[in-house]
Amino acid sequence: MFDFLRHQLRAMAGIFKRDFKIFLRYPLNALFRIIEPVLWFAPVFFMGKGFAVDGQNVGFQAYTGTGDFVSFLLLGTILSSYVSSVFWGIGFSLKNQMTTGVLESNWLTPIPRITHLVGQTLFNVLITTFNSIGVFVIMMVFFGVNFDLTSIGAAILTIVPMLISIYGFGFAFAALVMLMREANTLVDAGNFIVNTLTGANFPVTVFPRFLMVISLSLPLTYGYDAVRGLLLGTRTLLPLHQEQLILVIFMVVMVVFGAWVFIWLERYCRRLGTTGMH
Amino acid sequence: MSERFLASEQSGLAADSQSERRVILQEYGLICKLRSLWAVIRKEVTIFIRYPSWVVAVVIWPVLFPLVYIFNGKAFAGPDNAGVSTFANLTGTGDYIGFMALGSLLYMWINMVLWSFGNFLRNEQLRGTLESTWLTPMPRIIMLIGAGIGDCLQQCAVFSISLLEFYLILNIRLVGDPLLVLAVILLTIPTIYGVGFLFASLVVWAKEVNVMVFLVRGMVMIFCGISYPLAVLPDWMQSISRFIPMTYAIRAFRNAYLTDGGLGAIKDDLLILAAFGIGLFTIGYFAFIMVEKSVRGKGNLGVY
Repeated sequence: MFDFLRHQLRAMAGIFKRDFKIFLRYPLNALFRIIEPVLWFAPVFFMGKGFAVDGQNVGFQAYTGTGDFVSFLLLGTILSSYVSSVFWGIGFSLKNQMTTGVLESNWLTPIPRITHLVGQTLFNVLITTFNSIGVFVIMMVFFGVNFDLTSIGAAILTIVPMLISIYGFGFAFAALVMLMREANTLVDAGNFIVNTLTGANFPVTVFPRFLMVISLSLPLTYGYDAVRGLLLGTRTLLPLHQEQLILVIFMVVMVVFGAWVFIWLERYCRRLGTTGMH
Repeated sequence: MSERFLASEQSGLAADSQSERRVILQEYGLICKLRSLWAVIRKEVTIFIRYPSWVVAVVIWPVLFPLVYIFNGKAFAGPDNAGVSTFANLTGTGDYIGFMALGSLLYMWINMVLWSFGNFLRNEQLRGTLESTWLTPMPRIIMLIGAGIGDCLQQCAVFSISLLEFYLILNIRLVGDPLLVLAVILLTIPTIYGVGFLFASLVVWAKEVNVMVFLVRGMVMIFCGISYPLAVLPDWMQSISRFIPMTYAIRAFRNAYLTDGGLGAIKDDLLILAAFGIGLFTIGYFAFIMVEKSVRGKGNLGVY
């Protein structure tokens, strides 16, 4: 058992090293991972100005309880970058390996396929965290943000189960990409839908009733909401402790579900013989 | 045609029929090029519809994408639309939904062209088929034009379905003259595909798609006013936006679609768009020819 674990950790370290090398090999790409969230943020920032009454976003305040839409959006941008990294970093990386024709040979190594994914995930979390710090600094300098840092510990404790559940979902999504084989639209649309429905960029209370029902059924919505409630003092959808409990339950469910879907679909694709196709 | 050519080859042409031979070769070459062009278009369309996710690109994505801006707009407007008056003062219309949906439709167009042109040659590089495809006796520019026409066909479908969905789901009505809307779209095509040609060349040279797409679409996103009036930008940013053709395309498209100002309201924008179109298409064409020569000289066409 101990040997097995040791081998898995070595394999994960190998995968981590491989992904890190590829990441460094395209330095411009690495730089743009920090700049891109700011590019997405800028239009919304200017949009906010287009609706401000005497410099105050009274409409936004009425919905959220805070007029500081910059901090509201920054938190959403940082948290949604983890969601995006699951879609692009894990889902799309399988497609890249399929395109370059190395997926089959990688998977022929005597390493459980799930270990490949966990290795990629660890790298992904680390890089996304570094990116988020970069985005935070840029946004603070250019746009100015205002957080209540006394609740930072509680916010981090809320973020952890949220992130684990997102990566659990990533396992299932990676398997879906493998099955569908055309990843670009799937990844782009999936990422967009999840971030939109969970309120990464705006309060979900603006949704019409039928979208609100979907939004409230997604545990990620409570993650965004709870972290904003803690750091910005916005009105939360449910009491904070209930939102945190939902996130913990979601974490357990998504990790088990994600791993199960991945193992099942991976077997299915092997039976179909489509692993090497693209 | 080909029989005529073969017959002339077999019989051996006398000196006085050399000019006829040249004409036959020219005709034959033209037909070959058209056949190649058709094959590339067919290949691109076949690849596009081969993956079931094309439904997402054509049907779902167009209505989905503007929603994020529209919901943002709704959040900024507030439950009692308190913020709409400022927006109306700046844009001349309180219909922020139409404003944002049409702006984002043009943004989606250039975004898709950038991705498809960038990936067109890059994917062949990654799959290792670029060199072998380029070894065929077909002018390389034909491949790019074929990809452009294939993409144009997809975009026609996307545009039509988007406008229909905007009408049915977002209740965005065509107020202006449909012919003027068509004129704006037609005059935007050379600009967008000129940028696409330029882009494909840059990608083959730089071997990187993502960064280039992020850069170009980021500029369009920030400087061209897809979701907000340009008047909210600082002066220096407004000056930059004047040098980007999409600024004029988006403004003309909105005016033609949402207002009944007629040709007079968009005439200047159309002229500027036409000038940009000619310039960018020419630059894109020559950039591709130059890059093709350069990578062949260096021998790094298949390297990624």
